[in-house]
Amino acid sequence: MGPRFVKTLSGYATYKGSKGFLAFLLHRVTGLGTLLFLTGHVTTTATVYFYSPWYNRLMEVFRLPLVMFAEMILVFCVIYHGANGLRIAYIDLYKPQMLAARQSNKAVLTTFIVAVLLWLPTAVVMGYNLLKYGFGLLGGE
Amino acid sequence: MPVNNPNIPMVPKNEGLLWKWMRYSAILLVPLAWGHVLIQDVLVGGHGISLDYVALRWSMIGWRIYDFLLLAFAFAHGVNGLRQVLFDYVQSAKSRQVVAWGLFAFWLLISLVGAVAIIGGVKFSS
Repeated sequence: MGPRFVKTLSGYATYKGSKGFLAFLLHRVTGLGTLLFLTGHVTTTATVYFYSPWYNRLMEVFRLPLVMFAEMILVFCVIYHGANGLRIAYIDLYKPQMLAARQSNKAVLTTFIVAVLLWLPTAVVMGYNLLKYGFGLLGGE
Repeated sequence: MPVNNPNIPMVPKNEGLLWKWMRYSAILLVPLAWGHVLIQDVLVGGHGISLDYVALRWSMIGWRIYDFLLLAFAFAHGVNGLRQVLFDYVQSAKSRQVVAWGLFAFWLLISLVGAVAIIGGVKFSS
């Protein structure tokens, strides 16, 4: 796995393919990131049943400014992974004759732009909360 | 090249079924996960979430069913996705078997922990 893994990573770094390759990479990274969070999220939330005194203390971690910032990135991951996943699922399941269109640079770019546009309003609200509750600005504490 | 190794089937058993599962669960997960993120991360936010908040939310059976569905679909979708990624790097049949069983145990454990918590609900300690 070692040398092959290095070869794969260097391949990722030097490959000059279409945007579809970038979508493939971003889909993996956002999916793996979301799964990593999800594992922690399920186990920490489960403390409400298994040992509830830990829950409020664990939630304090989620109010650290750095973690609140990471949460904004997590939201982008969920939005992008979902939008890109819908593009793949819809065409593969219902319009397989449009496979070339699904793999086109235009489809990939459109998906990315849609994801950014959906994320921006969440970033405004969460950025405001970060300043207010994370840093105690804007009248927060 | 590993792909030419006759000991490794090009398409593992049930891979076609899982291929469909990833896509159908994706369609279901977009409203479930986006709705969850919109409510908890954007509208309520980490500063508004506490033990009392979870207890209030889970006093409504509808939200418990919602969270149960989200847990069941999102975690299985995620762990199968991780398996797909790992299978790109782990290519001998034996190693793949180890990875698959390890991930199955991981999926079962975390899903059970989450499901027990959703069904059991918030237990305040006195």
